[in-house]
Amino acid sequence: VRIVVVGAGQIGRTVIERLHGEHELTVVDLDAARLNALTYRYDVRTVQGNGASRRVLQEAGVPEADLVIATTARDEANLVAAMLVKRMSGARTIVRATNAEYLDAWREREIDVNFMVSAELETANAVARVVGLPAARMTDSFADGQVQIVEFDVPREANRVVRRPLRSAGLPRDSKVAAVVRAERMVLPRGDTTLEPGDRILVIASPAAAHEWARLLTSRDRPLESVAIFGAGAVGSAVAQVLLDRGVRVRLIEIDPERARAVAEALPAADVFESTGLEPEFLDRMRIDQSAAAVFCMHDDAKNLHAAILAKLHGVSLAIGVIDDPVSAAILERGGVDVTINLRDVAAEEMIRFAHDPRVRQIATVGTDFEVLDITVRGDSELANRPLHELADTSSLVGAIIRNGAATFPHRDDVLRPGDRAIVFVESRRASIVERAL
Amino acid sequence: VTATAGQLPRRVLAGPGGVDLGSAIDLVGGVLKWVGAAFLVPAAVAVGYGEPVWPFLASAVITSAVGLALDALTGSKRGTAVGIREGFIVIAMIWLVVPAFGALPFLLGDVAQLSNPVDAYFESVSGFTATGATVLTDIEALDHSMLLWRQLTHWLGGMGIIVLAIAVLPRLRIGGRHLFERELAGPTEIERLGATIRQTARRLWRLYVALTAVAVLLLAATGWTGLDPAMDLFQAVCQAFSVMALGGYSSQNESAAAFAPVTQWLLVAFMVLAGVNFLRLWVVLVQRRPEVVLRDEEIRLYSAFLVFGAVLLAVELLAGAVTRGEATVRDAVFQSVSIMTTTGFATADYATWGSLAATTILLLMFVGASAGSTSGSIKVVRHLLLLKIVRRELVQAVHPEAVKPVRVSGAVVTERALRSTIVFVLLFLAIFALAAILLALDAERTDIALGAFDAFAASAACLTNVGPAFGFAGPYGSYAPFSDASTLLLSGLMWLGRLEIIPVVVLLTRGYWRV
Repeated sequence: VRIVVVGAGQIGRTVIERLHGEHELTVVDLDAARLNALTYRYDVRTVQGNGASRRVLQEAGVPEADLVIATTARDEANLVAAMLVKRMSGARTIVRATNAEYLDAWREREIDVNFMVSAELETANAVARVVGLPAARMTDSFADGQVQIVEFDVPREANRVVRRPLRSAGLPRDSKVAAVVRAERMVLPRGDTTLEPGDRILVIASPAAAHEWARLLTSRDRPLESVAIFGAGAVGSAVAQVLLDRGVRVRLIEIDPERARAVAEALPAADVFESTGLEPEFLDRMRIDQSAAAVFCMHDDAKNLHAAILAKLHGVSLAIGVIDDPVSAAILERGGVDVTINLRDVAAEEMIRFAHDPRVRQIATVGTDFEVLDITVRGDSELANRPLHELADTSSLVGAIIRNGAATFPHRDDVLRPGDRAIVFVESRRASIVERAL
Repeated sequence: VTATAGQLPRRVLAGPGGVDLGSAIDLVGGVLKWVGAAFLVPAAVAVGYGEPVWPFLASAVITSAVGLALDALTGSKRGTAVGIREGFIVIAMIWLVVPAFGALPFLLGDVAQLSNPVDAYFESVSGFTATGATVLTDIEALDHSMLLWRQLTHWLGGMGIIVLAIAVLPRLRIGGRHLFERELAGPTEIERLGATIRQTARRLWRLYVALTAVAVLLLAATGWTGLDPAMDLFQAVCQAFSVMALGGYSSQNESAAAFAPVTQWLLVAFMVLAGVNFLRLWVVLVQRRPEVVLRDEEIRLYSAFLVFGAVLLAVELLAGAVTRGEATVRDAVFQSVSIMTTTGFATADYATWGSLAATTILLLMFVGASAGSTSGSIKVVRHLLLLKIVRRELVQAVHPEAVKPVRVSGAVVTERALRSTIVFVLLFLAIFALAAILLALDAERTDIALGAFDAFAASAACLTNVGPAFGFAGPYGSYAPFSDASTLLLSGLMWLGRLEIIPVVVLLTRGYWRV
């Protein structure tokens, strides 16, 4: 597969490292020295220039490429590159973006990119996984967010749902399991399908039901009390947001007064403290030992190490260090930090996963095996006004019905009416049949 | 360097410091020449009732002539933008000068009870600031046209002279925002309507006019349907002007007690309505988004205060067995709403009620209605902010490092706004206390029977723009017994209260006048 990587920073390099063996890579970067260093380590083609320029992308061979990965630290540069790519070729695009609004717009299909990865959000998900909450990625949303498609990893300890037929597992109302990915294969589940640990599932649900799913898949027996986060930069805020979304109490410690204020304004539910996090007296007073975990993301690994060890001395049971340098991981772990998460690795990991097996994401975009159809039921449809379970099996599944602006998640006795908007999962080869029938 | 004719007055008027007095005076003149037009309304009424017209016409001519003269004197300043500094002095001057011209009809028209210029000025200031404190002892002795002029001063001052000027006068388009923010009561965000300052001013006045029209119709309807024999169109207009401005002047000696219970309940409803932020009312009534009200913390606290005040008064009335049945509830609700919204209408002489009621009423004066309404006083949103500041202080006593932005209805309030809230309330209370002392001192000097409680109440009633106080200045009394010195002091309090103190106090600082 021909792949063009725009940006040879930390994430770019990790992507290259993981992909250069099996694929034909071209790397675009502004910095000639960086590219030069790269060619000594990996057998890749390099093009020096601005990735958001038409000429440079032409030169990098985008018209013949199958996949373009934009990994620079600048969201807008990545997006422009992806826009140009869409015009020049049929290559799929992966874009790194930090701004949450771009992610929202992408989910709402306002931005024509196949896959968008936020390093900060992926890190936050990784932290959530470490503290025992299932990773959840919203991949798509419809009807102003009333209908969400969320992807979950099924953890080993999720005893409430695994190895039980779906129809009797007591799953949250207003939700449906739309697809199960097991051993690289994706199937549409039926009532007697069971979930196994290690599965990745796609759930179509209301926002509330999506939250319930997250709780259901949690491996912890009792709810997580509170997590302390040291450093309220982009990563710290993202971690706080994800944990708050799962109902965890969050305490943020930030040294910079302006940053602390901004975060306190942006996250009303979080408790923000303006402190270095390095004063023993402060840690005692906030009863740091009663936190279930402490996350260190202060963008200064020496400080992270110091603060983490101090917190451990004060009785924190689980210290998680977020770092962006592989060397730091070894140091922090040697020093006694329980888990380290490499921000760039996590983002690169997601990109590589998509590059290897795009089906999971494509279910929400242009599919090969499966597609999500968002269609309005015609008045003369032969499927209208009949209960769903009477309809012939077409290897498809009605995930949600949007009627008069309100979303419902149908069961076997529900009926499609003319004028309804239906969100349908379907095998690609049958998509046209379903479309015609509705 | 030779000074040309155009440069000389500018230099002279610019004063020694950094304040451009010339353009400030120019603006005052520009507004004043149009204020003259307001006298045409009572003039028309005078024609209708066969009363003397000339006092109003003469007032109109004098007012406009002075305005034009100021304009001509500062001709070189025409169209100069008003900065923050000039904004303060423009506001302060307009609210001193306009009532002075507003008092002209009382003097020219030979109103016996207002023959003393100080009294006439007091009456006019009380009118424009929508206070409702009066020196009249027999209101009904006045001509229809004079009565209407009194009510009209309420109505014009209620929503604001400058807000009106911004809405209609093209020249205030530049720099109007400072003025607007100073005059519209309370710490409100005016961007909310998503419009320019001029559009916002127009919308506010349009809503104000429309609500007043509805009030006139509903009140008059009680007369036309025979529910209230005391009500006719003239009375309806008078009460509507007063109630929408949360003023308190009545055309009746007995105030609202002259009307039937149904009218009194109607007045309660309109007082409550006029006490809501007009920007919020626009969103609810015109943009049809009623859900905004439910989420609004200020409106919720406003309602809670109203209920709480009414319950306290009802308890007092029932315990004291002053009245019985529906009348008790009505009196309790009416008085608490009227005092809290800083209106000053009365259906009973609460000055004769017991000490629980007197204390409750005095404290209700300091509540006020919403910011952005026509009410005076501290206003509910400031109480809300103070509560939240206190709560935050308590949290920070335990966790000094805690960063806790204060929010109202989900929106973050800047630290600067919080500081200015605290400063405002402190100044408000300090001026209240100081004025009470001065009133007592002056009463001592002139040998007036002013009790300690009455001194505090009179100070509060004027500073909070409520109007009626206790003692001889109670709801059925009059401020006439006060000496001229006290009357001027009380006029100053109403002026301070309407402008929310800070624009005036700023003028007393040296930094304001220096470059």
